[in-house]
Amino acid sequence: MRGDDKKDKSAGYQRVVLKNASPYHYMKVCLVLEDESTKLSAVELKQFIITGLKTLYGEVGAALNFDLLKYDEDTRTAFLRVCSRGLVKLWSSLTLLGFYQNQACAFRVLQVSPFLLALTGNSRELQLD
Amino acid sequence: MSVDLDQTPRSILVWERSSFLDEKNRINSEVEQLHFNYKVSVLLPECSSTPPHLESVLTSFSRFYLVRNLPLHKLLDKEFLETAVYQGSVYGLSYRTRIDEDNCVALMPNGRLVLSLDKDSFQVLGFEGKPSTFGNRTKNRFVVTIDLTDSSMAPGGRGYLRLLTGLTSRLSLQMDFLLSHHPGGGASLQPLLSHCDWSEHTPEISTQSLTHLSCPEPQSCDPHSFLEWLGAVHTDVSSLSENSSSNFLSSLVCPEPKTTLSQALRVSICGLLLPQDVHHLVQELRCYLERSRLECWTSLTVHGFVDSPVSWGDREHGVLRGGENFYTLLMFHDHTYHIHLATGAHDTCPP
Repeated sequence: MRGDDKKDKSAGYQRVVLKNASPYHYMKVCLVLEDESTKLSAVELKQFIITGLKTLYGEVGAALNFDLLKYDEDTRTAFLRVCSRGLVKLWSSLTLLGFYQNQACAFRVLQVSPFLLALTGNSRELQLD
Repeated sequence: MSVDLDQTPRSILVWERSSFLDEKNRINSEVEQLHFNYKVSVLLPECSSTPPHLESVLTSFSRFYLVRNLPLHKLLDKEFLETAVYQGSVYGLSYRTRIDEDNCVALMPNGRLVLSLDKDSFQVLGFEGKPSTFGNRTKNRFVVTIDLTDSSMAPGGRGYLRLLTGLTSRLSLQMDFLLSHHPGGGASLQPLLSHCDWSEHTPEISTQSLTHLSCPEPQSCDPHSFLEWLGAVHTDVSSLSENSSSNFLSSLVCPEPKTTLSQALRVSICGLLLPQDVHHLVQELRCYLERSRLECWTSLTVHGFVDSPVSWGDREHGVLRGGENFYTLLMFHDHTYHIHLATGAHDTCPP
């Protein structure tokens, strides 16, 4: 859906309203492991998520393109990018990933947005104490 | 029954191009109407250290106050209304309350008090309100908007007494509250602060310098790609500098056509930030562009509070998956600008 609103007031003025036009969605997720000391590299994390997609949606799911934009090994927090049509698939497989190498784990989805910029300014992170 | 897994909640991006020299430009109203700003980030390409003028503008951002366990009826205190609400503009927002699950309150600079309440609280309060626009058929959330400057809300008036009784005897809401006042600052808020446990806070400034940054052509780049690139710069995505789409981890690359910036400066400031200060910063950035060389540009991103009951002006705001309400202003040397205003699913179209 893409609608071009209005209105040339003057030669230089232009306004365009884009509705649901974002090609990608961005997720900020954190992997919580039973054993906090387990180390997990970015490549291992991506492979782990692909396994989850394959378990839930089969080969078609495993072929879903998503990007691991940024990963912090210490907090196991990652920024993911996925095409908007694949968001529900990716999210549901993250939810159902319950075990990493025989230890219980869970993905906490911290923030989801069609704009990567929104992930840089989340007022819920404001700490004043 | 099959469910469409491809659908995502609504999002809106408004892209506008105009010039500061155009008398009809709407930039001032767009900046001033977003009342509750959480973070401002500035990107200065080809700049290695914060220009002194800019630094002084950033350090002059108004301080704000955190009041702990504020009983809401204190906002109706006669002395507070006279020194703060009737004179100048108060910015107040409940802190650490989530609009998708808790009661949230905002006190707007035009003297309106907005309460976003769950159904139980709304019924107990017994004050006129309307169901939230985003509740669909469930009607589990209600919005009560009260104009404190209205004659019926003057201390002693009928509406005033009704609300005061509601907030003292029926629904004694207490919450942490962020407050700021323009132009009076802390002095105007004294009548309220003197009865409460409060702390003063200065907006937090952070600066990072970046080197060898791939950068798209800002004049011609499509809005979504530009915002993605800017987001990648602000989140420190490393694959942007590697710029290889065949990487296993990420295929994110800088949009074409691109150039490489030898250096750039990223400055951000966080807290309860007033639109007046943001406006001042925009003016200073324009001066900075005038002083700098041709073809220079700069961007300014302002994030609104996720859990504010309003976004631009009086427009109702909520959280579905994310409560994003932000704008990015891209300013050029020739006084033209591009502004991108973005909102999520529980929000109306930006102005």
